[in-house]
Amino acid sequence: MKTLSLSSKTFVPSDAMDAEIDIDVKPMMNVLVILIPFLVSVSEYTRLAIIDMSLPPNITSVGGQGSSEKPKVKLTVVLAPQYCTIVLGENILDSIARKSDDYSYDTLSTLLAKRRAALEIKDEVIVAPRDGIHFKYVVHVMDVCKKVGFEKINLASATENPNAGQ
Amino acid sequence: MPLFKKKSLAPVDHFGDTFKPQMTSLIDILTLLLVFLIQSFSAEGNLVTPSADLQLPLSSSKKPPKPSLMLELTNTGIIADGHQLADNKTFAAAGDLTVKNVYNWLIAQKTRLASTDADKKIILQCDKDLEFNIVKRIMYTCSKAGFTDFSVLVIEE
Repeated sequence: MKTLSLSSKTFVPSDAMDAEIDIDVKPMMNVLVILIPFLVSVSEYTRLAIIDMSLPPNITSVGGQGSSEKPKVKLTVVLAPQYCTIVLGENILDSIARKSDDYSYDTLSTLLAKRRAALEIKDEVIVAPRDGIHFKYVVHVMDVCKKVGFEKINLASATENPNAGQ
Repeated sequence: MPLFKKKSLAPVDHFGDTFKPQMTSLIDILTLLLVFLIQSFSAEGNLVTPSADLQLPLSSSKKPPKPSLMLELTNTGIIADGHQLADNKTFAAAGDLTVKNVYNWLIAQKTRLASTDADKKIILQCDKDLEFNIVKRIMYTCSKAGFTDFSVLVIEE
């Protein structure tokens, strides 16, 4: 069997090109066979993550610690089965109708970014879904809020009839 | 003429030759596999194990989870430490938002954690199709027990 020598500076004779070059693949196969089970055991196929959230401060500490200050109004995203609204205090700023099976997250993102620019508290938002809303939509809206720039997300509950308590 | 042809037991000539399997395609597959596995390699591993009873929602969040107190909110019940604390049907329509068994468990955990420096944050594992009514009641129960910071476990998109 003829072998090719890479170190020699001379050109390979033409008859050597026709000869069969036998590469020993056994060591490489051995390495791969050991490496693959190891990598399979330490691989992560689904990556888990967390989204931090908290309850609105006026729920956890009513009125703060001895402070008589009224809690500042924060932008609220209300999720209802048929629509999603952006609310500030008692004013409904925007309303987005739900299309077929999902909310229009792009429109929500654009509107939230627009409203955020005019806000005093720019890093906090309240997501308030109604009782029947599936949790995957809540997570999606929280994602949108994070992307827009709201660092802190508060999760509250939206009532069916806001005037019922008055 | 014989019905069956007699098989010759004599060694065939070509068995004496060196048998060389075609390794190129095998090495190609192994190389591709190696690249894929290196891409999904994780030195840390999963510090949090998701429950098999629920499907976690997808999210673009990249924040890795840390081991913490965990509550699993499935479509049927609330599970903690492998034990079902409450059945969703029993409290979903109740007038009081507090879920008694969950509250008792949380108080026990709070007492246990009081002597340690462990994080007093709760990780909620919620099924993606779970109604918010259940989540709301559990969050309310947690806040009543003194846990106000939450994290929601999600699958990274």
